[in-house]
Amino acid sequence: MNVIEIENVTFAYDRQVVLENVSLKVEEKDFLAIIGPNGGGKSTLLKLILGINPLQQGSIRVLGKTPSKSLSSIGYVPQNTNVNTDFPIKVIEVVLMGHVGGKRPLFGYGKEETACAMGALSQVGMEAFAQSKIGALSGGQRQRVMIARALCAHPKILILDEPTSSIDITGQREIYELLRVLNQSITVIVVSHDISVILEYANKAAHINKQLSFHDISDKSHTFHMHGNQGHFCEIELLQMLGSDGCGTCNTPASPSELSGSETAAGAVNANWREEK
Amino acid sequence: MIEALSFDFVQHALLAGILVSFTAGIIGSLIVVNRMVFLAGGIAHTSYGGIGLAVYFGLPIFLGASLFAVAAAILIAFLTMKNRHRIDTFIGLIWAVGMAIGVIFVDLTPGYNVDLMSYLFGSILAVNTQDLYFMGALLAVILFVVVFGYRNILAVSYDSEYAALRGVNVKFFYTLILILSALTVVVAIKVVGLILVIAMLTIPVYIAEKLSSSLFSMMFLSGAIATLFTLAGLWFSYTYNLTSGASIILVSAASLGLFLLLYQRGKTC
Repeated sequence: MNVIEIENVTFAYDRQVVLENVSLKVEEKDFLAIIGPNGGGKSTLLKLILGINPLQQGSIRVLGKTPSKSLSSIGYVPQNTNVNTDFPIKVIEVVLMGHVGGKRPLFGYGKEETACAMGALSQVGMEAFAQSKIGALSGGQRQRVMIARALCAHPKILILDEPTSSIDITGQREIYELLRVLNQSITVIVVSHDISVILEYANKAAHINKQLSFHDISDKSHTFHMHGNQGHFCEIELLQMLGSDGCGTCNTPASPSELSGSETAAGAVNANWREEK
Repeated sequence: MIEALSFDFVQHALLAGILVSFTAGIIGSLIVVNRMVFLAGGIAHTSYGGIGLAVYFGLPIFLGASLFAVAAAILIAFLTMKNRHRIDTFIGLIWAVGMAIGVIFVDLTPGYNVDLMSYLFGSILAVNTQDLYFMGALLAVILFVVVFGYRNILAVSYDSEYAALRGVNVKFFYTLILILSALTVVVAIKVVGLILVIAMLTIPVYIAEKLSSSLFSMMFLSGAIATLFTLAGLWFSYTYNLTSGASIILVSAASLGLFLLLYQRGKTC
C-alpha cells in the first residue's frame, strides 16, 4: 500500500524552478532516504508533503488525502532543533505540543495528554528528562525529544529533516537505531545529506536535484561495497550510483511493476544483511 | 516616608507601579521569547503620535495612545507576515513617523503646551483613578489570555512553524501578542515613559528567564521582579528627589549587573 503518492509535481519560487516533474511513491513501512545537494529541493518537497508550501502543479496524496487534510497522520521533526535553546520550556511541554485533536481542558494539560506525552518520551528513552529544561539537553537528546513530540500524535508516517546535522557520530548512530525500531510500525522518511550513515538504514533512496531519481536499495549486498572505515560507505561511489552525475538512465522514477517485483526478494535480502551486521 | 503613604497620589503611584509591573513582566516575557523587543520599541515610540492626536482633538490621552499603538501593532504584524526581509527598516520608519506625527499635532494645538517630558520619561505621581481602572482592566485581560491561551501562545512562541502544522492559528496569536504589547506600552508610559519602557519590558524578564524552567513561571517571576524594581525605584525617587521613571530603570539595571555577577559566580563554583 502506498502511504504517499506524488505525481508530476513541479514547484518554483518566483519563477526559479526548484522541483521539476517529480514523482514518488512511498510504501507502508518504507524507510526512505531523501538525499541530494543543498538547494536541490529536498526541503521544498518535504514542505509540499506537509502542506506548508501550496501545491502548484501535479498532485500529492498522503494516505489518499490532500496534505492539509492528513496532517494528523504525519509526525514531523523539523531541522535545526538547536535554535531557541534559551527558551524556558520543559521537555514534557515540548512533547505536549505535538498533541492533536481530542478533548482539551480549559487550561493547562489533561491527564491523558500528559500520559500520552510520557509514553512518547519513554519510546525514545527520554522519560527521565521530562521535567528538565530543553536547553540543558545535548543535541542528540534534544533531537530525541523532537521525535517524541512527533510521535505524540500517533502518526503513520514520520518525517525528519536533517535529523543528525548537528549531532556527534555516536549520537547519530543512536538516532538511526531508534528510527530503525520505530520503522517496525511506522513509515520513516529522512531528509539528509549525510548519506554515509543513512543508507545503511534506509531501504529506499530518492536523490533530488530539481529532478528525482528513485532507488530501491534494500538489497545492499549487491548495490554497495562495504569499506573498512567503520562501516561507512564511500560517499563518492554512492553519489555516482545514485545518479548525481553520469547516471542519465535512472532519472526517471522506477515503474510500479519494477518496484513490486523486487519487493519480496529485497525484503529477504535486507533481513539477511542486517543479521550479518 | 511613612507619612507620604497617606497622600492619595502616592497611593495611586504605588498601585499603578504594581499593576504596570505585573503587566510588563508578563507581556515582556512574551516579547523577549518571541524576539520582538525592537518591535515593542517601535510601538512605544509610535504611540506618541496617538498622544499628539489625542491632545489636538481633545480626547483622553490613554484612549488616543491606545488606539494609535494598537493600529501600529496591527500594521507591524501585517508587515512582519508579508515581508520578513526588510521588517527592521519598516519598524524604524514607523517608529520615527509616529513620533513626528505626535510632535506636529502638539504644535498645532492652539494655546496648549503639553509637557512632552512627562510622556517621554513618565509621570507616575500624576496617575488618577481612571488610569488605575484602565491598568487593572488591561492586567485582567492579559491574565485571561495567558491562562486560557497558554498552550497556543507557548507553541507559537517556541516553534511557530510546528504550531502551524498542528493547526494553531499562528497569525492570530502573533497579532494578539503584539496588540497586548501595544496596550502594555501605553500603560507603562505613565510609569516610566515611552523612551524607558523597553528597559522595563526586558530587564526583569532577562533575570526571570535565567531562573525559570517554564514560560508560565517566567511570566509571573518577571512580574514580581519588576514590582520590586518599581517600588525600590520609587523609594529612591522620593528620598533623593529624582525623576521616578529614570530611578526605576537605573535600579533595574544595577540589579541586573549584580545578578549577572552572582549568577556567573554561582555557575563557575
